[in-house]
Amino acid sequence: MATAFPSPGSLAALRFQLRELVKLTRRTLEMAVAPRRGGRAARRAFAEQMHLVGNRSMPFMIVTMAFIGAIISFQTALQSQEILPDLSQVGATFTKLLVRDLAASVGALPLATRVGAGIAAELGSMVVTEQVDALRMNNADPVETLVLPRFVACVVMGTVVLVVGGFVAFGAGVLVGQVAFGIEARTFASTALLNGGDVALGLAKCATYGGAIALVSSERGLSAFGGSEGVGRATTEAVVGSCFTIIVLNVLLSTGGHFLLPAL
Amino acid sequence: MPIRFANVHKSFGAKEVLRGVSLTIEDGECFFIVGASGVGKSVLIKHLVGLLRPDAGDVFLDEEEVSRLSEHALRPIRKRCAMVFQSSTLFDSMTCAENVALPLRKHRGLGAADALVEARRRLAGVRMEGFADALPAALGDGLRKRVAIARALTLEPEVVLFDEPTTSLDPVSARRTDQLIARLCRDDGVTAVVVSHDLSSIFGIADRIAMLYKGGVRFLGTPEEFRACDDPVVRQFVRGEAEGPMEV
Repeated sequence: MATAFPSPGSLAALRFQLRELVKLTRRTLEMAVAPRRGGRAARRAFAEQMHLVGNRSMPFMIVTMAFIGAIISFQTALQSQEILPDLSQVGATFTKLLVRDLAASVGALPLATRVGAGIAAELGSMVVTEQVDALRMNNADPVETLVLPRFVACVVMGTVVLVVGGFVAFGAGVLVGQVAFGIEARTFASTALLNGGDVALGLAKCATYGGAIALVSSERGLSAFGGSEGVGRATTEAVVGSCFTIIVLNVLLSTGGHFLLPAL
Repeated sequence: MPIRFANVHKSFGAKEVLRGVSLTIEDGECFFIVGASGVGKSVLIKHLVGLLRPDAGDVFLDEEEVSRLSEHALRPIRKRCAMVFQSSTLFDSMTCAENVALPLRKHRGLGAADALVEARRRLAGVRMEGFADALPAALGDGLRKRVAIARALTLEPEVVLFDEPTTSLDPVSARRTDQLIARLCRDDGVTAVVVSHDLSSIFGIADRIAMLYKGGVRFLGTPEEFRACDDPVVRQFVRGEAEGPMEV
């Protein structure tokens, strides 16, 4: 019960953070599936977070994913050209890669920088200005009041944003294929290699990464201490932690997906 | 409802803030905790309501050890002990009345409409009824503090923790806040634990004073004893002298 606050950056601090993250994840998931009395304030908080995560991230994600789609398409076609003279399969391979993995795992990284930093900075500021303590004193659970709306918003709207980003990347890829390599749009935009498992795995990754960004960033924000310097540290750790978590989850989900939802 | 801190230690990273603080606060007392900035006064009182947990040592309220209670088990304690935070900590998205209604809804389970009616009555008690529908951001520090006090007193607590209640207030508002705290102790039998640097408040309304220094209790006694104390560190604090043995 009596836990000493470990020094930031130490191994003890990392263990402490992981333990706190597991606890927060368990509590948030329990609350997410529990029946709720949705009051006006709670509904307002959910709607606000949906707007922040979804609508406010959309322009940034559209521009970023357009560039990412263009780069991946260009490099895929360029490398294929070195090996095979026939580029008819480049589009189908690109689409499969995008749906199965890249739209979610590459798109989640810029999403983590935008949404994760915002969550950690906001919650961290609330901690150092004692607003979270005031919530606890008033019998309002910070996990239910602050973390749950952000978690649900990141899972739902994070998925929406990443799917839209995926379509934008796809469009940019088709454009680059046509302009730079002369591949017909109809040939490039092929779904011949795509199956239901690819779509299911891609969507599962989007939702998981969205949830991970919310949980890692909330945990860091709620652990902030030491004024504005502490908020800054929490924000940096939230972005680094979210990106690292996305990469680790990608390894796990891709490995699991390879056996449960085979690519071919 | 005596409050007892027994050999409380607390560190944040490498910084050791409390190094074995032991204190007892009696029922109905107006007890001041004073000391230089960053000495751990706010940290100490937060242990009483479980906002912080001691690394070592125990905190008792009515002989019940609160430092080992779960967040859920702390709910009745937080109903009996209210806290007025240093920066008021009103929620900016709620009106003043909604802020005051929050503990009534969350602790007492009142419906939104009933809680708002009671909140308006509570705001009238601190002469803030005219600002019930205002957002906190539209108010000055003094008015925000009064709303925060109304919110803290809403549940008629037995203990109120005041964290620097007169900081950033003008002298008139500060003395009115002192009167309010004194009246709570004298008329309602509330135990007030006040963290403060304000010498006017300390010598105006305190029953007893504890001075924290270097993580421990340097002085414990009445305001008269505090003023007459010949400990050089205490004397420097009481006189507000820039030069002296006190390390900050």
